[in-house]
Amino acid sequence: MLSKVTSFALSGLEGVPVEVETDVQSGLPGYELVGLPDAAVKESRERVRSALKNSGKNFPTRKVTVNLAPADLRKEGAYFDLAIAVGILTATGQLDPSHTAGYVFLGELALDGALRPVAGILPLLISAKAGGYRKFVIPAGNAGEASYIEGIETYAASSLLQAVDHLSGFSPLAALPVSRYGAAVAARREKFDLAFVKGQAVAKRALEVAVSGNHNLLLVGPPGAGKTMLARCIPGIMPSMTFEEALEVTKIHSVAGILGEEGIVTSRPFRSPHHTATAVAICGGGSRAVKPGEISLAHDGVLFLDELPEYHRSALEALRQPLEDGVITVTRSSGAVTFPANFMLCASMNPCPCGNYGSADRPCTCSPAAIRKYRARVSGPLLDRIDIQVEVDSVKYEDLVSEREEESSAAVRERVERAREVQRRRFSDRPGILTNADMGERELRAFCALSPECESILRLSFERLRLSARARARIIKVARTVADLAGEEKILPAHILEAVSYRTYDREQV
Amino acid sequence: MPSYTKEEKAEIWLDSFGLDYTKKSKLYHLADGPYALAAAFSRLRGRAEEIAGSEACAKMERSLRSSVYLAELLAGYAEKSIACVSYSSPYYPEALRQIPDPPLVLYCKGDVSLLQTRKFAIVGSRRTLPQVVKQTEKFAAGLARHFTIVTGLAEGGDTAAALGALAVGPVICVLAYGFDHVYPSCNADLLAKAEQKGLAVSEYLPHEEPRGFRFPARNRIIAGLSEGVLVVSAGAKSGTRSTAERAFEYGRDVFAFPYGIGVPSGVGCNALIKEYAKLTDDLVDIAAAFGINLTEAAQEQAALSPSESAVFGAICAGASHAEEIAAKCAMPVSALSVPLTLLQMKGKIVSCGGNRYAKV
Repeated sequence: MLSKVTSFALSGLEGVPVEVETDVQSGLPGYELVGLPDAAVKESRERVRSALKNSGKNFPTRKVTVNLAPADLRKEGAYFDLAIAVGILTATGQLDPSHTAGYVFLGELALDGALRPVAGILPLLISAKAGGYRKFVIPAGNAGEASYIEGIETYAASSLLQAVDHLSGFSPLAALPVSRYGAAVAARREKFDLAFVKGQAVAKRALEVAVSGNHNLLLVGPPGAGKTMLARCIPGIMPSMTFEEALEVTKIHSVAGILGEEGIVTSRPFRSPHHTATAVAICGGGSRAVKPGEISLAHDGVLFLDELPEYHRSALEALRQPLEDGVITVTRSSGAVTFPANFMLCASMNPCPCGNYGSADRPCTCSPAAIRKYRARVSGPLLDRIDIQVEVDSVKYEDLVSEREEESSAAVRERVERAREVQRRRFSDRPGILTNADMGERELRAFCALSPECESILRLSFERLRLSARARARIIKVARTVADLAGEEKILPAHILEAVSYRTYDREQV
Repeated sequence: MPSYTKEEKAEIWLDSFGLDYTKKSKLYHLADGPYALAAAFSRLRGRAEEIAGSEACAKMERSLRSSVYLAELLAGYAEKSIACVSYSSPYYPEALRQIPDPPLVLYCKGDVSLLQTRKFAIVGSRRTLPQVVKQTEKFAAGLARHFTIVTGLAEGGDTAAALGALAVGPVICVLAYGFDHVYPSCNADLLAKAEQKGLAVSEYLPHEEPRGFRFPARNRIIAGLSEGVLVVSAGAKSGTRSTAERAFEYGRDVFAFPYGIGVPSGVGCNALIKEYAKLTDDLVDIAAAFGINLTEAAQEQAALSPSESAVFGAICAGASHAEEIAAKCAMPVSALSVPLTLLQMKGKIVSCGGNRYAKV
């Protein structure tokens, strides 16, 4: 007898419906799985057989053919285990076909018949909902993320038996209640707060400016100065994510299989790949199934590259295009996948190979040539995309133990959100531009007119401080953000001067 | 092509074999100068071979027999626009002739007449503090009104001296390698500028590369050319100290910047001051030694706003951290970036890295 049930396969961030057709015919006992399955799908035979038997069901001793349609789409992962098991039950008459109609089945089976969670449930459900599917059976372990989708009936089963009993009406499950995003946000606790960072007033101010305008940031300082700690505080001072943003981030994290228990990402992501990461790990890829890379996992959050010069050149250069476009298209022979990658880049590096350049108590032992060589490891075009460069210096012991009250992340976030609001209003009629950092030549001309006084100060600073000419647009953009933070309509000389002070690395080294 | 006398040509000929200094010197004294040596080479060949070895000697003999050797050599130099100022040349500076081991030929690119001007050397180590770099530029610019500044081409102190001098007038850069090379390569632009606006000098044949032992030898030329030497920075074992030592041996005035205790790039300077160098923290210290009048063009004193002068006053000797300055002025650090940037633009302070600032 023939049966048909529906499941979904993942392609990038999209779900594609897969028809699981099961045919059981008399003949020599055997099991044939067709439809471009990969190893994990092929092995489903053993899992399905054991799961069925251990759930007290029969695995037919006849010829079983399972076809995953469309036949030309490569199938990967263990999503289809549940659908195949249900298909066999239906085809052998152990389950009535009318009971499975309209359902989508997703989940991996354990040998004892338990349902294991799978990666990528959220994007699959979103695609399925858009495709008109309304009823789903998913593993209980994926209930968290699934509960954020309204307008569908989702049943979270913890075992094959539970799913079958639900379908047959013997012991129906209750549909998952819809979770509210607001509640999850309220329960959010940021692990890192600026209040824990002692001193570092210069760097904190730079952080605030950077986040306000969504400018990329480079922290330069000796080892142990607290660069990583400062960077980890950035998600806490960024504006809270809207539900749409959270859903998109959750989708990516779901596909990558790194979603936590709560089911939705409420804090802006903070990704810090190790410096041995390859270009593929950073940008996404893989031989067949294209997986999102670190830049996509950092979407709407922070990508932190600690010890920037230590990264592979190829990995760093690969960042340039997504930094401009906010998306990354990974092309493989099997097709192209586009992932969102709109992240804030925060990088850190030592000022010189020994790390002590500019330190008061530990003299630097590097020759100028060694320092230049070290800094040259970060290419000009990449540095060009980093608007703010700031020095972080080692914290004094007195600062560490002092009781002085430091400003909390929440207070900074309030100012940041105000500055973002100004930008939102300014760019309301400019699609694709959300923050000052996104401004192009046209916006610079429209929104960043400089008074003659500002113009002369800028010219003077280029002459006197030996700035490189390409820093000009960066300085004006940052000055715009400083003005927004101050609540000023026009850019004032003081704003230009502060922006100039964030271009340490453009100055020619003597 | 400049015209050379027969003595000069003989000196250029003797120098062209790349022999080391002692061999050249012995050959020079073998007869009554290189011209006599060339004229009587067949007679002196035995003794020349003892000094220079048979291979070099054979080369010299061949070159004397060849009718084109010298012409080709000079044409080669002319093509590279290298002028040769040899020991007997009228351009050869008298002061350099007086040192115990004067170079036989100075290969020059640029304005050779600068060798006849009053010269003063400013040297520093590669690891020179940013505030000292600025200070060096100032001193070089001030002294360049009265002297031609002589320096090496190393990074740090030397570069600062050359830049400061070039802003006012010419500079003489003494190289430790031939003109086919540039070291350090980052100063290629500076060398080109020096050749154009001043003079680059080397005692080495164009193809001779920068090698460790050539730098101390070069330092004796810097010391020998100059009436005085200012050492702006020197580590404990810095090559800069050798310049000062040679200058002292040659009876030149030696000046040095003073440093605080425990500043690695100033240990050598302090040691020099303990021995013979004159402590120098003002141009007047140098001017007095030479009896020159510092008729400086009244420096445009940039006016400071109240907040700038408050911040400027809060920076103490050595380098001060931004947070210390903020505490002293009772200003938030975020407000400090404006006066700090302005003061840097006015050349009153300099950033030393790590959010530290120093007065110039």
